[in-house]
Amino acid sequence: MISRRKRRPSSEVNLGFQIAPMIDVVFVIMLFFMAMVGAMKVEKAHNTKLPGTVESKEETVTPDEIAIRIDDEGQVYMNDDPLDSPTTKDLLELTGNLNSLREASDASKSKVLVTIYADELAHYERVVDVLDALSRAKIADVTFQAGSPE
Amino acid sequence: MAGGGGGGESGEPEFQIAPMIDVLLVLLCFFVSITTAQVLKVDKNIVLPVSPNAKDRDQEMAKHEVAVNVRWDPAASRALLLVDDKEYPATADLITYLKGRFGVDSSLRAVIRGDAKLPAIEIQKVMNAVGESGIADISFAASNR
Repeated sequence: MISRRKRRPSSEVNLGFQIAPMIDVVFVIMLFFMAMVGAMKVEKAHNTKLPGTVESKEETVTPDEIAIRIDDEGQVYMNDDPLDSPTTKDLLELTGNLNSLREASDASKSKVLVTIYADELAHYERVVDVLDALSRAKIADVTFQAGSPE
Repeated sequence: MAGGGGGGESGEPEFQIAPMIDVLLVLLCFFVSITTAQVLKVDKNIVLPVSPNAKDRDQEMAKHEVAVNVRWDPAASRALLLVDDKEYPATADLITYLKGRFGVDSSLRAVIRGDAKLPAIEIQKVMNAVGESGIADISFAASNR
């Protein structure tokens, strides 16, 4: 006996929502974004104010000033003393010295002002390394000066 | 028998698909939102210097920020200034533009996005231009890795 199946009309075709492939896709997208978060570069910032443009109602107290110079080769000097090597990115000696100064200033209830003198051909990356060391030492009052400290 | 966890008549817990989809969608929205928030304003021609201890960008200040991109062309040994995708060969034009922006928004912050290999003198020129335009609040962009 030959049984012939009748084809269902198109209006009866089940176009129901398939949950399994949707979960597969959602999983794949989620894994992609989770992996991306680990490899993602986040843009951060060192905030500062330009000197001479901020109005102040209070009397200005001159704080202890520290000069940090960066020469063309990337050597960092704090008050003319060379610290770390030009290739050291962490600037641990500089950070240690800055920490000590900040602690001493905190004890005497005064402020530390750091002026960065970057030579013309010093890489901007080196300036940011110094800013990073200042952030680690929790020193926020930073200003910039062109040329050497003299 | 009363029981939580979607137990069936046989007493075995059933797999509930609806709450799982809810959780997945929430996680997906979270990762999508944080990814898109971070990739904004990235100029691929600029390699930002790495500074793991820099502060996170203040999201409240985002609408008051103007990004000053400073590319470095080592072949020509010159810096290229770009603000809002427009190049400014002369700093006078940049000062005029920034003055206009500062006139509209007095709490404007200039975010200097300089290439890591840029000579410091070029950054100082940009800082001078920003200062001449009247903007006091500046920020140096850096990458976390």
